[in-house]
Amino acid sequence: MGLLEPTLEALRRLAALDPALWTIIGVSLQVSLAALAIAAPFAIAGGYLLAGARFTGRRALVVLLQSLLSFPTVVVGLLLYLLLSRQGPLGAWELLFTREAMAIGQVLIAFPIVCAFTLAAVESADPRLHETARTLGASRLRAALTVLREVRFALVAAVLSGFGRVVSEVGCALLVGGNIAGHTRTIPTAIALETSRGAFTEGIALGIVLMAVALVVNVALAFGQGSGQGSGGARQVLHGVGGR
Amino acid sequence: MNRPLLLAARDLVVRFGDRAVLDGCSIDLMAGEAWMLSGDNGAGKTTLLRVLAGLHVPDAGTLAFDGQRLAPGRFPADVRRALQFVPAHPLLFSTSVRANLDYGLRAASVGREDRRRRTAGALAWARLETVAGTHPRRLSSGEAQRTAIARAWVLAPRVMLLDEPTANLDQAARDQVADLLGRLVGAGAAVLVAAHDRALLALPGMRRLHLSGGRLATLGP
Repeated sequence: MGLLEPTLEALRRLAALDPALWTIIGVSLQVSLAALAIAAPFAIAGGYLLAGARFTGRRALVVLLQSLLSFPTVVVGLLLYLLLSRQGPLGAWELLFTREAMAIGQVLIAFPIVCAFTLAAVESADPRLHETARTLGASRLRAALTVLREVRFALVAAVLSGFGRVVSEVGCALLVGGNIAGHTRTIPTAIALETSRGAFTEGIALGIVLMAVALVVNVALAFGQGSGQGSGGARQVLHGVGGR
Repeated sequence: MNRPLLLAARDLVVRFGDRAVLDGCSIDLMAGEAWMLSGDNGAGKTTLLRVLAGLHVPDAGTLAFDGQRLAPGRFPADVRRALQFVPAHPLLFSTSVRANLDYGLRAASVGREDRRRRTAGALAWARLETVAGTHPRRLSSGEAQRTAIARAWVLAPRVMLLDEPTANLDQAARDQVADLLGRLVGAGAAVLVAAHDRALLALPGMRRLHLSGGRLATLGP
């Protein structure tokens, strides 16, 4: 079977606003954006606090966070499934096979990504940022927001990376969402299903959308980083004489 | 003439490993006084300024501002605003010159109109009007240094601590910064400047402190 014909057919269906396809796309974006909206503020705050905190076990926590970056999403889905299943400790919530369950799973997947990237961004920021803000009378919260503002392009990259990961993950969404048509079927789970059924047209159409989303995310990332090099970042007044 | 005592430090001790960089330093900064702090590289001038600014917690000693005993490293916001420190390598936020000057006023919840007026005043004071909207990356070293000083000055500090404000600037920029320092002293703030630049000694009313072996000594007349 050639690839051209189903691809053209897929594009035609996308252009014709095929409701079945666009429902799947809508569910994907809705769940992923909601998950990111929940995860990002906590992850950014967590990354900031972890960058500045000094406590016993901090190193272990950082290693754990970095390890979670490569944690298989299907395992996240499995653990969440066991928690949310009727016999599980959270079974009474009746969330299994709902968009909420998928969003919870994606929050768990996005959190370590955004948190670890924020941690790296804040750690690599000039330590005098916080000090300068405090010297000028800023509260701890305002000083923190100032530091985050100075590393904003890295934070945008962190959030976009988190989005890229959750919008394309299939394992967790399949397990806790159940791939229910019109309800919990997302782009990746639909591609897996359609391909297994031999319905390549829908699979390719959704694949095109997924690649388009990835492209947009990467273009936004490159644009943000380019802007950051041009105008972001605090300026240090360079002098030759150091002090102690 | 009786000048009010603003910043009083007693018996400050700071150790880095076995070495006492400050070994019992005491200093009184009165309103309208200007001191130039000299000392060899590594003598502890920056450390002393950072301790006085509340940025470095000393191993021993006490600090008081305007009669109020200060907890080391935990200065209240009003004291931090009244006690401005401009480090040797000041950092400007990646906004504009005007926004940098506005930063401390916003933090102090100053009203918009008052902020606008005071920021405009500070831009004029430091002769930065022409670069008010400029990103700090595009400033010359002299303009950047003046921005850092004006950012502190706009908060109407009662004590200004400056670390090597003219180092590595060209002559024109040094003259401009020295002019700002002269006007700071003239405005009645207590000023302590750590510097190697002897030209600063020529500023009116400037007296000299020397830090050596972890101890402070008054030099000259």
